[in-house]
Amino acid sequence: MLLDKRSITMGIALFGVVLLVLFVALGMGEHWINPLGALSAMEKMILWDIRLPRLLTAFAVGGMLALAGAWFQVLLGNPLAEPYVLGVAGSAAVGAVSGMMLFPDSVVVTSVGAFIGAWVGIAAVLAFSHLGSTRLLLAGVVLAAFWGAVLMLLMALLPERGLMLAYAWMMGDLSHSSLPIWLLLLMWSLALGCGVFLSASLDKLLLGERHAQALGVNVQSLRKTLLLLASAVTAIAVTAAGTIGFVGLVVPHLMRLMFGSLHKVVLIASAVGGGVLLMIADTAARTAISPAELPVGVLTAMIGVPVFLVLLLRKR
Amino acid sequence: MIAIQNLRLCRGKKELISSLTTQLEAGQVVAVLGPNGAGKSTLLQAVMVMFKPEHGLVSLNDASVAAYSKQDLSRLIAWQGDLPPAEFGLTVGQRLNLAMEVAHSEPQVMQQRFQSALAYLELESLQTRSLAELSSGERQRVEIAAIMVRDNPIWLMDEPTAHLDLRHQADCLKLMKKEAQNGRLILTVLHDLQQAAAVADIVILLDGKGGVEVGEAATMLTAQRLEPVFGVKLKGIGRDLMPIYSGEIDEEA
Repeated sequence: MLLDKRSITMGIALFGVVLLVLFVALGMGEHWINPLGALSAMEKMILWDIRLPRLLTAFAVGGMLALAGAWFQVLLGNPLAEPYVLGVAGSAAVGAVSGMMLFPDSVVVTSVGAFIGAWVGIAAVLAFSHLGSTRLLLAGVVLAAFWGAVLMLLMALLPERGLMLAYAWMMGDLSHSSLPIWLLLLMWSLALGCGVFLSASLDKLLLGERHAQALGVNVQSLRKTLLLLASAVTAIAVTAAGTIGFVGLVVPHLMRLMFGSLHKVVLIASAVGGGVLLMIADTAARTAISPAELPVGVLTAMIGVPVFLVLLLRKR
Repeated sequence: MIAIQNLRLCRGKKELISSLTTQLEAGQVVAVLGPNGAGKSTLLQAVMVMFKPEHGLVSLNDASVAAYSKQDLSRLIAWQGDLPPAEFGLTVGQRLNLAMEVAHSEPQVMQQRFQSALAYLELESLQTRSLAELSSGERQRVEIAAIMVRDNPIWLMDEPTAHLDLRHQADCLKLMKKEAQNGRLILTVLHDLQQAAAVADIVILLDGKGGVEVGEAATMLTAQRLEPVFGVKLKGIGRDLMPIYSGEIDEEA
């Protein structure tokens, strides 16, 4: 079959891109270090204990954000949906900043706060899930605004040092994730596995809920599964790296423009593509004005948006 | 094949159907007629378990439709409704494949059905095009093809001739008639009385105020019966039954 040959080619191509980006990004930093060259103990430490974990975190987080975006888009039948639209990231930020206020010196408390916050946001959105996609999206937008307001309130109350931390966290920060890398990579693969497993039903959901049901999909249970899955993945990604926008929006779109709309391909390509985009963005963020760092969320927007717009223009 | 007992449908506070009891058999074309908002599409959705009736039962082969798994139901009933959204860029071929996945047939048989549906609706040249690039009429043809590829014994068609040009409307009516003769049950919402007269064996007439009448097409499709329901003057009988637009418009002017 033609399709099989194509997907094998695609798989090899994606794997190659990941390796290439990983190699270059590992080497890049304040000083270029060739990962394949002869390394001093110091260089080894920088490569394998500092840069590699951070890159792998970026890969897993980026991939999960892109997967969550793809799911929210088909779930709400709206190509503009992404984790942030539903306020899940906003409530996670509120949780994290609350954690910072209570225990200013504990990264763990901040992460736990983010995780709890994400699920509070999810519960709030789930309360509207029976109203259908349009109103769920609307509820999400309104909730996002609400969490934004709460966040501003908390930040007004924060002492100055905390304010800087909260700010860095809100713009996304991959430098001190408290979640173990293996857990992030495990979640990435589990999420992708679930996505591929559900892909045939997801494709039918592209036709709208009624058509999907007429084609034998149990839409209600699929919607619940998807909401939980997308929310859980978002909660983990946000807990690990703070709020990083645009990956969830731009990557699934890009992949649809490049590979068509069928989910098996879109989800695999998004999980990998999102990871690659965030690795590139984070590398740029830590090298562009080194030794200082830019917020990675700014970089994802600045890389993601122009690429997306160019592809959009070329397609029509 | 489909038995409807004491079915009562409401949307919000409005009563659409107060009580409908009827039996629909294989080989029939059953047309649902009535004014806008009378509950024609809702009736189809109630059969498809997309809409919950206030009261009553729809059963298929002696079991309640609600008791079937979605998967089993999708192998028995095919539903054509609104045009599906095109934002996500599915192609015509992909859209038809999604419909075909429901069927459990030999790949060769499926391929043959796929090709003959494409040919019947003149979609061959559009196969790789994105739904977003098609006109409404072309997308409607894709939806009809999506029913054809599935080989289900029951077809629910919600305004199948909407958006179509005259020749494709005629093709669609011919298809419905032929497939009913092949033993399918076709339950369809129509607006055009001549189309209803051309294909329907049975007519379900909704008056928009909760009232329902079911009968043979020949006895139902008369000016006397339909004028009060639609509030329009009609002339002719049988297949020549048609609204008198000119008189109405002249009167107003």
